[in-house]
Amino acid sequence: MKKILWIGVLALFASCAPTKIVAPLEEGKVQVGATLGQPRINDGALPLIGVYGAKGITASTTAYGSAQVTSILFGAIQLDGGVVKGLRPSQGFMPGLSYSYGGNVLVSSRDYATRIYPEAGINMFWKEGSHIFNLSANSWVDPTWFLSDFGQGQILAPSFGAGYRFRYKWIEFQAEYKLLNPTKELMVPQATVPSTFGLGGRGLYWGAALNF
Amino acid sequence: MKKLLYIFSSALILSSCADVGSAMFFGGEGMYAFTNENLDSAIHVDESKVHLFTVPSGDQDTIHGLFVGDFSQIQNDTIILYLHGNGPSMDGFWTAIANLANVGDRHRYGVVMYDYRGFGMSTGSTRNEETMAADYDAVAKWLADRGLEPDRMVVFANSLGSLPAGPAAAGGSRIPINKLVMEVPQSTAEVIVQNATGLSLPSSMLTEYNFDLAEDMAAYTGELLWLHGYLDDVAPVASARAAMEMHEGSFYKDSVYMDAGHGLRWDIGAEEWERILHEFMLH
Repeated sequence: MKKILWIGVLALFASCAPTKIVAPLEEGKVQVGATLGQPRINDGALPLIGVYGAKGITASTTAYGSAQVTSILFGAIQLDGGVVKGLRPSQGFMPGLSYSYGGNVLVSSRDYATRIYPEAGINMFWKEGSHIFNLSANSWVDPTWFLSDFGQGQILAPSFGAGYRFRYKWIEFQAEYKLLNPTKELMVPQATVPSTFGLGGRGLYWGAALNF
Repeated sequence: MKKLLYIFSSALILSSCADVGSAMFFGGEGMYAFTNENLDSAIHVDESKVHLFTVPSGDQDTIHGLFVGDFSQIQNDTIILYLHGNGPSMDGFWTAIANLANVGDRHRYGVVMYDYRGFGMSTGSTRNEETMAADYDAVAKWLADRGLEPDRMVVFANSLGSLPAGPAAAGGSRIPINKLVMEVPQSTAEVIVQNATGLSLPSSMLTEYNFDLAEDMAAYTGELLWLHGYLDDVAPVASARAAMEMHEGSFYKDSVYMDAGHGLRWDIGAEEWERILHEFMLH
């Protein structure tokens, strides 16, 4: 039973999924995938599942949208969408750069309470053949931080990730290690959230996708 | 746009399959072997004064309870109603009960404790404010039927026990509460969700159990003693303080200890724990 509580709570962590797109897709290319988040709690990790789709709108712009399946199972509809724009491609040791912006919407199916969190991020990536390495920084913005009880809200919920993905023809696999919200102490009742210097959470995130 | 609406409505249909509310409660097995074995000799009890009882709760559930004392005490003397924390059953709180049975003197006060639904041998499952309130009321009725009156009842709520204690203190108790002890209480359901996610999320994203002890304390007019530790990582002291300080009743005292965590009684020692409690009871 404790595990159910932890899964439910952690499913709502900010940025609790891998960075979906770091290097823009080719124009017209469609990617459909699933993600498995494994944020750590106590000595183990929990499985959080999401699905997403992305499409290369132009050579340098990719749009994406996703849904967190696990949080939906607990009564919170969590959808997000956004755009990734390439600034420059990767060339040798010179990393490629891209940035992203979008939004997350969470709706309670119990009372339809809704929260909207815009997000923005930046990615550095090295692409060599089918291999892509990335360093990413992202932050959710909490425009309703003042609704947190007892004034304990904060405006930014940043995350940092380092990942690898293998993109070959119609398949793509990815793994990313992320530090979640390392500006706030996260507390889950009767559990320990492995943190960074007492702040935030962390975990390993996986993804698999098909490219069309 | 149509696709967006389709995704959204599909998500709505898929949702609400699970409520974290029931998962918040860590009920388990209970043996109910309440003896002096494993108790420090300083807090031994007269085992002939240990009584198990059951009461019906709701339409079909049975609550198992423990009374330590003489039944005549319920009609004539002070009774401590102990609302236990988030452990599997009353078994884990037996030493606390033995401590309470020795506050002031051995069996100076009668002590009552019970298992919420789904804890120990109590049937059913605890899900929300309604089930908690029904179980509390079932035991309060058992006490009222035996003659307990408001001026002789002290409610002692430990951690999870603060959830039923709050609404009861705010007017929901058939025996009105005039003396309330909140030991390492939670604060609000929102705080739990917000502290866990780092976002301004309402508790309804996860559970229907939207408790709010700040609101309850604001409505409580009786005496309050709040006990807490700064090192508490289960019920954060800052939010508990914000909730408890909403109290504007007839008397308020807090004792917050620097080096204590959620296991307050162990951290500050039974002697200090009994002292501060008894001082409040005699106030």
